[in-house]
Amino acid sequence: MRSDKDKQTSLQEAVKTYLPNGSSMSFGGLGARDPFAVLYEIIRQGAKDLTLMTTSIMDIGNILIGAGCVRKVEGAYVWIGSVGSGLNYRRAVEKGVPVKIEIEEYSNYSASLRFLAASMNIPFMATKSLIGSDIPKYNDKIKLIDDPFTNEPVALVSAASPDVVFIHVQKADTAGNGQIWGILMNDPTLARAAKKVVLTCEEIVSTREIRKLPNLTAIPAYCVDAVVEIPFCSHPMWTAGYYWCDLPFRRNFMLYNKTQEGFEKWLKEWVLDIKDWNAFLNKIGKDRLEKLAKMERDNYNIPVLAYEGGAKR
Amino acid sequence: MIAEKYSIKELMAVSCAREIKNGERVFIGIGLPMMSALIAQNTHAKDSIFVYEGGGVGAISRRVPWSIADNPTAENALMIHEMWRLFSDTQAGFIDRGIIGGAQIDKYGNINTTAIFGKGGNYENPKIRLPGSGGANDIGSSTGETTIIMQLEKGKFVEKIDYITTPGHLTGGDARQKAKLVGKGPTSLICQKGIFRFHPQTKEMYLDMLFPGATVDEVKALIDWDVKIADNLKEVDPPLQIHIDIMKKYDPRQIMLGAKSNEEEDFDEFFETMKQAYEEVVLDF
Repeated sequence: MRSDKDKQTSLQEAVKTYLPNGSSMSFGGLGARDPFAVLYEIIRQGAKDLTLMTTSIMDIGNILIGAGCVRKVEGAYVWIGSVGSGLNYRRAVEKGVPVKIEIEEYSNYSASLRFLAASMNIPFMATKSLIGSDIPKYNDKIKLIDDPFTNEPVALVSAASPDVVFIHVQKADTAGNGQIWGILMNDPTLARAAKKVVLTCEEIVSTREIRKLPNLTAIPAYCVDAVVEIPFCSHPMWTAGYYWCDLPFRRNFMLYNKTQEGFEKWLKEWVLDIKDWNAFLNKIGKDRLEKLAKMERDNYNIPVLAYEGGAKR
Repeated sequence: MIAEKYSIKELMAVSCAREIKNGERVFIGIGLPMMSALIAQNTHAKDSIFVYEGGGVGAISRRVPWSIADNPTAENALMIHEMWRLFSDTQAGFIDRGIIGGAQIDKYGNINTTAIFGKGGNYENPKIRLPGSGGANDIGSSTGETTIIMQLEKGKFVEKIDYITTPGHLTGGDARQKAKLVGKGPTSLICQKGIFRFHPQTKEMYLDMLFPGATVDEVKALIDWDVKIADNLKEVDPPLQIHIDIMKKYDPRQIMLGAKSNEEEDFDEFFETMKQAYEEVVLDF
């Protein structure tokens, strides 16, 4: 049983404890709240043979694949959004570089429904997506059937329960009540679908503060196994109310990413030769991080409650 | 006022925006459609609501989104869903139009964004691996109707696509209706030469309008089947200056319009441009 006492731990310890080689795993966020600090620690610890369960994933998926940590992707989309092509994904699928990966293909909705089924503790969900496409043709885990009630065609997808999911949120208490502001992706559902949940947050706050805005609590402590406070965890992506996105960092990554050698050079400089997240943030520089934080706060801030004792910031 | 100078990509974005009718609820896919949404929202479709896969509904933003869950898809939104909830709302019929891209397409508007198999290749060992469906399959299956935006190039408009990622009209005629897909499927396609539409009965794609300067022969040469041409082929109006201004305002670094650099990008320069652009946008709601 997960007890709701202090679940705080270090990032190193959380990855070591909850992500043995061969695990199936997932990340929260997408283009926002992506847990980059966790990604880099996973790579530093040399994870192998992971199954990445996802809907859409961008830079973190590509980097994890390029680092050779992934054996299989169960999901709908791996790319770099509008910033560039998912060249690590391409190299892995087309050439087996650095590791040949297997793909179990879905659409975003059907991949979401797999997590929803797991979160409800039922074996499958039905959808009217996928019909008429080749997605079921190349994925024998999708069943096209005639609905026994109406006889109309419907696609069934099985529940997906990752061994562990890493989700970054704005605020959490030490028990793991996690509050999200801005985009959700499937994170509240993912937290309930996964066997273990590692919650990272920008700020640890008191349970008293959590209680002021309970509607923001997307992830209840009873789902959560470990809590780690990691400021700027999503750099170079954005965390609503905390900091803006560092697009030049992503675009400069793309210059290196054109070849596997270039990618490995980037990985050495920004991940393997870096001791930990604090060292990474020092390398980015305080001035740059402060600019990103100010830009976000000037434009998009979590509203302060009007009444006395409202959320500070 | 008609724009004196514009790029073909800008005309594509504007043409796509013109497909959006005021008041429609529109599901926006990744890429150029995001620019079209901002053009429509700031000109003729002020009452429309734009939704994105990350869960944002009705955002009013200060820049173009760079992905489907990027900040501007949620900024000043009416509400923010989980992804599965928004797609469930779509499957339930609440969303009028979807706008998606494509890499390979056939005459019935079936789209491939999964893999180009190439000679001797197959799904497991493709010549070119593409991103995959993302939400395209779901948007194409269940929004009321879809608009497609993609480049017309040799080898992309083919008799048989390698992989149907997103269903169009399947084998044409009433095939889609028989398959019991929720939405009506593609009704228009924007490319860099003009606009195609789909015949109401046969569901075959035909050329309906040409961009200024483009020719029928040029279009025919790039399409593998003998494409039909509208009897009263029309020319697409050039963009207005206001359209160009909107794109400059919301995408000052031209990221959505395809500006790529081979040099390291300076953070401070980038930051100042974006900060200035943000300050110039008046949030009027």
